Amino acid sequence: MKPSLRAGYRRWLGALALAGTAVASGPVAAQDQQPLVIARLLEINSLDPHRAFCDTCQIYLTATYQGLVALGADNRSIEPLLATSWEINPDQTEFTFHLAEDAVFADGSPVEAKDVKWSFERLKNIQGSPSFMMSGVAAIETPDEHTVVVKMDAPNSEFLGILTAPYTIVVNSDVAAEAGARAGADAVSADTAEAWFLSHSAGSGPYVLDTYRVDDELRFKRNENFWGEAPPIAEIVIDHTADAVSQAQMLQSGAADIAMQIDPATAETIDSDEVVIETVPSFNFIYVAFSPGAEANRVPLTLEVRQALAFALDYDGIIEFTVGGEGNPQASPIPNGFPGTTDLPMPVEDLDKARQMLADAGLADGFDLDVVVASLNVYGVDLPLLMQKIQQDLARVNVTTHIQPVASSVWREQIVKPGIPFTARFYAPDYYGSAQYVYFFGMIEDAYWLTNASGGQPESLINPREGELLEQALATADEAKREAIYHEIALQMIADRIIVPVVSPNLVLAYRNNVAGVRYSACCNLPLAELSLK
Amino acid sequence: MARYIVRRLVAMPLLLLGVVTIAFLLSHFTQADPLTSIVGERQMNNQAVVEAARKRWGLDRSLPEQYLVYVGNLLTGDLGISFRTKQPVAYDLKLRLPATLELVVAAMLIGTAAGVALGVVAARFHDRPSDHAARLFALVGASTPVFWSGLILLYVFSVQLGWLPGPGRIDARGAAPPFVTGMYTLDSLIAGDFATFRSALSHLVLPACVLGWTMIGIVSRMVRASMLDVLGQEYVLTARAKGASELRVLLNHALRNALIPALTIIGFSFAYLITGAILTETIFAWPGVGSYAVAAARELDHPAIIGVTIVGGAAFLLANLLTDIAYALVDPRVRVGGARGS
Repeated sequence: MKPSLRAGYRRWLGALALAGTAVASGPVAAQDQQPLVIARLLEINSLDPHRAFCDTCQIYLTATYQGLVALGADNRSIEPLLATSWEINPDQTEFTFHLAEDAVFADGSPVEAKDVKWSFERLKNIQGSPSFMMSGVAAIETPDEHTVVVKMDAPNSEFLGILTAPYTIVVNSDVAAEAGARAGADAVSADTAEAWFLSHSAGSGPYVLDTYRVDDELRFKRNENFWGEAPPIAEIVIDHTADAVSQAQMLQSGAADIAMQIDPATAETIDSDEVVIETVPSFNFIYVAFSPGAEANRVPLTLEVRQALAFALDYDGIIEFTVGGEGNPQASPIPNGFPGTTDLPMPVEDLDKARQMLADAGLADGFDLDVVVASLNVYGVDLPLLMQKIQQDLARVNVTTHIQPVASSVWREQIVKPGIPFTARFYAPDYYGSAQYVYFFGMIEDAYWLTNASGGQPESLINPREGELLEQALATADEAKREAIYHEIALQMIADRIIVPVVSPNLVLAYRNNVAGVRYSACCNLPLAELSLK
Repeated sequence: MARYIVRRLVAMPLLLLGVVTIAFLLSHFTQADPLTSIVGERQMNNQAVVEAARKRWGLDRSLPEQYLVYVGNLLTGDLGISFRTKQPVAYDLKLRLPATLELVVAAMLIGTAAGVALGVVAARFHDRPSDHAARLFALVGASTPVFWSGLILLYVFSVQLGWLPGPGRIDARGAAPPFVTGMYTLDSLIAGDFATFRSALSHLVLPACVLGWTMIGIVSRMVRASMLDVLGQEYVLTARAKGASELRVLLNHALRNALIPALTIIGFSFAYLITGAILTETIFAWPGVGSYAVAAARELDHPAIIGVTIVGGAAFLLANLLTDIAYALVDPRVRVGGARGS
């Protein structure tokens, strides 16, 4: 019998009422049976361990893979991981690692020296963003299944530190090669595994990749074959939550257990006994940068002019304006707490000196300065907004800034060519060690900022002393001596006045009070395996 | 009618080719090199790496050559690989389009039902407080930016009252249902997973209301105007004179005819909502086509930009066609294609 129309309506109404009841009744499942949820902006450039290069990538790689060594909880010491011990020759050119014999990948196969060699070679040859970490590696030898010898083409006392970076992890070479991964010299064109890594991990870490949905979630499940101590939480989800306000809302409502990118201002709005808020100093920092070689410069940005503009900045005001005082000044492009930064002279505001220096340079009436900045909010600092504060500061010495906020991709192109006279940017460490900053910010050959700032004429800005000092630091085994050399390098970088750090924002650790093990790691952001539920 | 539909369907690929061509050209005349999204920031200074990437992604070829390769691939259903997600654009869209459709269909249901109801109430109680209240509600919905109303509703209903969940398609502690349609509400029902259905439906309510609210204003105003027009017609007076109840007069006689012009608006709203879902998806972290488009534009992800444009264009053309067909079915006076003048 065909049902009447009226009966059909009733059935639909019944279904709707059921749905309504279902919606209203809220979550029911037990907390201990559910995954731990982390609210975080999921900006991932790749899950290929040798192409990935982002803050979330650090978390992912640390959870699913392992390196030879790890950074300790003090963010300074180096601890064994896949390598149980190691030897370094006196001139810092040969590193011998002895692998744990019981280490296995997630598929149960043993971690062997050949995997280490293959991983390091792929990292170097694939020419991805983190490939620079293997520059200087001349040869990798595997005398037996559990011994790896890495030979450098020049002394590198920081190599062990580099190996704490999550980008230098060890991949199951057999599994990856079967998926199209290549490590040879032609890897940049022959490798076809990047898409495969979006749905598979191939490491020996405490977790394995369960699912990854772009702009949605990154889900981990416990590695049942993990050779170390099993992580307390069986399943962890990083839920894509774009902004701090939404993250705070999720934390308060219990939809998330940890919120990772809450800025101090948003943290103040959280009013819940069930949420713990901790503010800790970070190694991240925001800096402004001058490019004397940029085509758009209207006056020469000489050292004197750059120094004058640095004196015109209201550093305390910037910290107050950008992060509500929840940050610290930073002296040099090497962050506070890294080797060589003890007792460095902090930047100071001195308007009289700034005016005098500009007058001496024939610029007493000021000049126009073009500013291009990426429309980004990083570590709680809105870069265009920061530039507006700096615009006011520089106006006091008659410098008129013209701010142009652009998409990040546009900024990345413009900084290379035609160059940007004045900009703001950010940096977070890849590992604990100061050489990475010299390679990036120093006025030494092939350094990122030397190339950008010099407009294709590096000799105009190169600081030979920095190069000499770096060479000495990399050849020095003695930690105290190295620290002293990096201190001198930091002073040189301050004197360059290409990079002027303006704030090192504090990091807000925000989590539900039943979560334990939340900490800030300099290399890895948040080590997931340390998390547990009380 | 059949000839008309066939003709429109035949013309659709040509129109889409036009859309593809324009989108292709526009995306290649942007301010920056898409390689900045492919090659890391540090590597942009390394000419060898830049050139290798240019070759790998086919960006070393001339623009006409790139266009021909793209169109050739398109004919086989290959929309290219996204620079950003590193996955085939067709695969990305397959995952994301159902999310947007789920949101848009829910918004349309809410927008249509509430818009029609408000329009009827406003017309029935013309120039009385109910009319003013209905018009004010509709006006606020039509003129309030989605990013504002979305945040406010999230704050009120999710944070303060705790009645509805926050952003996302589903409770992050749960897992997505097995993929059948890609719409979580449907897929969870198909799987018989009512906990997931509850989670998916509760997550859908707020964004659908926010998006649907923008439509309520347009639909209610159109229905109100049509109803006022129809309610003055002689056949309505006749129905009343014959003793028909007011509800019957309103729904069976007046609304049925007043809905015809509203149908066009509702039809076009579908395409409008698909493209208009961008902000809603961004606010509610809804992983649909809208948020995909925003990220693609931000990262100069050309294949994704063109892919989204094709989907948007196809949705608009389909909605247009379906509206015409529905119009012809509802109003016997309308005959498309094979109509003959008297």
